[in-house]
Amino acid sequence: MRGNLHGIRVLDLTTEPGHFATKLLGDLGADVVKVEPPGGDPVRRRGPFWGHADDPERSLVWLAYNTSKRGITLDVTKPRGRDLLLDLAGKFDVVIESFAPGTLAKLGLGWDDLRAKNPRLILCSLTPWGQTGPYAGWRGSDLTVVAMSGNLHCTGDPDRAPVRCSLPVAYYHSSIEAALGITFALIAREESGHGQHLDVAMLAAMIMPNIATASMFKTGGNRGLRAGAFFRQGISVQREIWPCKDGFVTFALRGGPARIPGLIAMVKFMDEHGMASPALKAMDWKTYNHNLLTQDEVDALSREFGAFFASKTMTELFTAAVERNLMLAPANTAREIHASEQLAFREFFVEVDHPGRGRLRYPGGFAKITSSDTDATAIGIRRPAPRIGEHTAEVLAEVGVTDAMLAELHHARVC
Amino acid sequence: MDVFAGTTILELGAGAAGPVAMRYFADCGATVIRIESKARPDFLRTLKLTPGLKGGLDAAEHFAVLNVNKLSVALNMSTPEGVAVAKRLALWADAVAENFAPGAMKKWGLDYATLSNERADLVMISTCLNGATGPHRNYPGFGGQGSALSGFNHLTGWPDREPVGPYGTITDSLTPRYSALLLASALLHRRKTGQGQHIDLSQVEGGITCLTEALITWSANHEALGRIGNRARHAVPHGVFRCRDAADGRERWIAIAIHDDADWKKLVTAMGSPAWATDASLAAVAGRLARIGEVECHLEGWTRTQDARPLAETLQQAGVDATPVLDLGDLHDDPQLAHRRHFREVDHPVIGPHPAEMNGIAFSETPGDIRTPAPKLGQHTEHVLRGLLGMSADEYAALEQKGVLS
Repeated sequence: MRGNLHGIRVLDLTTEPGHFATKLLGDLGADVVKVEPPGGDPVRRRGPFWGHADDPERSLVWLAYNTSKRGITLDVTKPRGRDLLLDLAGKFDVVIESFAPGTLAKLGLGWDDLRAKNPRLILCSLTPWGQTGPYAGWRGSDLTVVAMSGNLHCTGDPDRAPVRCSLPVAYYHSSIEAALGITFALIAREESGHGQHLDVAMLAAMIMPNIATASMFKTGGNRGLRAGAFFRQGISVQREIWPCKDGFVTFALRGGPARIPGLIAMVKFMDEHGMASPALKAMDWKTYNHNLLTQDEVDALSREFGAFFASKTMTELFTAAVERNLMLAPANTAREIHASEQLAFREFFVEVDHPGRGRLRYPGGFAKITSSDTDATAIGIRRPAPRIGEHTAEVLAEVGVTDAMLAELHHARVC
Repeated sequence: MDVFAGTTILELGAGAAGPVAMRYFADCGATVIRIESKARPDFLRTLKLTPGLKGGLDAAEHFAVLNVNKLSVALNMSTPEGVAVAKRLALWADAVAENFAPGAMKKWGLDYATLSNERADLVMISTCLNGATGPHRNYPGFGGQGSALSGFNHLTGWPDREPVGPYGTITDSLTPRYSALLLASALLHRRKTGQGQHIDLSQVEGGITCLTEALITWSANHEALGRIGNRARHAVPHGVFRCRDAADGRERWIAIAIHDDADWKKLVTAMGSPAWATDASLAAVAGRLARIGEVECHLEGWTRTQDARPLAETLQQAGVDATPVLDLGDLHDDPQLAHRRHFREVDHPVIGPHPAEMNGIAFSETPGDIRTPAPKLGQHTEHVLRGLLGMSADEYAALEQKGVLS
């Protein structure tokens, strides 16, 4: 199996925020080597654990985002670890790291040290706030980055604190951003012959998810507000996430040419179940404009739609939605996603074998690629996440480390 | 130097999920040409459209912010001549990107199977809600559906309440990044091998891939991860706490993330070691987890009387991961975003001066920039067809007369 990034070699020094970046590069065919401190990456000690066994080889957050990589242990804070890393950097195309700004330079592994060793190298630094500027020395993580992006302020119920997604979206957004920046730099290198340093700031990557509304503040003055499962439309607030019999569904009362056919089809569906009032059936959808509805009108509509949704399951509603183009979708949990007939048809899920531990069902390739030579463009998981130090011997052998030297490095806690 | 100087990309589609992806290329010097139509304009051009609106389809701010640095060609795709011109552009460009519903490109004979017969090394990407194949391929949807189907809605909110979903239709912001990564990887691959390809990116599948932790936790333990508010499963306190209201009455909040026991110790010292916090049973995370509600309540009692930004600065000085919660207006006064020149002003012919946003990457050698405002619909039709594609004056005039260029 090759892939679009076949032949590209990536040395991954990141912690949790960058794990997903190199997983994506690995899925595209790059040879990714994850460098962990002796004892393993800190997320390995975090649950949830597979089978609830507190074991660094069973941490699901580790297993999730480190597929398609080999793994070595190396303490780059020790002089010999540092020297080995520099030797490796001479043989790789990309180094990606997520240390606090300045950390690598203090170790003698800064951008100037690395590019002196390998002028073609691309260094990608992924940090909460960026390499320079007033917050460069600040700490940050998913919660605080999302807090600074404007996105947290706009998410949640109005009577409680702003709320984040329970999984770290800032890491996902920033990781994809880093992976695409690296790919752009690889293209630039084809012309220039030399690498460059990418300074990826999670804060900056998290502004775009506000979908233009951050920039639009300057002309409209809208600071954003929390409306819970509702959305402010014109002069009213309108529900967009609705309780149903066994969970929740999304459905909007918004109009416009793309949505009105869905509203008409939904009313017809409700009528077939005897749950559309004469007033609802008499609605003139041609002149319907959700921006002009009063709150009373919205509430009257919401009572009818809400009562209907409450009488049906997520599956019943979504099955009908697909047949009739109702513009409705279930708020899926992992259970419904694993059971999706659409994903089954596309063979999206793949079984990944973990030697000695069993098989897990993973999201596979993150796109489908068609070409005249499918092996050359293959996308998807190459291998399970590595065990601690699984590939240390084979990778360090490339820079002249023999078995005897390796035993000594282990003894000195360099590996 | 620009990474994509001399590269042309043809873009067909609407909204954010497709068009934002090509911004990455346009900002780095690519010539990105949008095919648009006055009869069926991008819905972002019509969001706030009213009959008397000055500037009409060109006055839409959502569209303007997301489409800077691009060119617009007006083509009436309901005419065979319009489709023929689009095909010439597709075969001439270095790459084609589209986010119509599956089938639209095929109807016009602009699908990969047809185009690649005439150009074997064509690189093309298609992004729709559920992907180009499968029983749900034709199911239409916006980002709200993408967020729900891929699992983000279920995961956002409080455990004792209904889900609220993330602000900003998250698949509309994840998809452009995936799309730019995939297209760039395909262009690099073609450069090395001469081989073209078609990429079919499902917005829902991209979202689910992000949530791999939740998917394999189900596979491993038959456990569906749920909403936990702002808490972390293994650290306490980790949340958002009310501060003193702003002078104009706006609520102010601080986010504080304590990752381990050493962080907790720093926080206790920064608070002046109050009696409740120096309780030895809270020194280790297990003790704080057992009394999480009490810890959060005490902490908010301390933050409630202070101003969010100076408090965050004090905590950062003490080595604690803490920041104020900023609203959309605050971003424009933020010194870090200013340092990165994240917002850059352009002068739009209808809207006037407005900011647009750079992405999250600062390249040391190929920095990229925002150079031109979003195009008016059809603003570059003549420039692209005559100047770049090399169409004769006679042919152009004939198309114009037939109403093809609208």
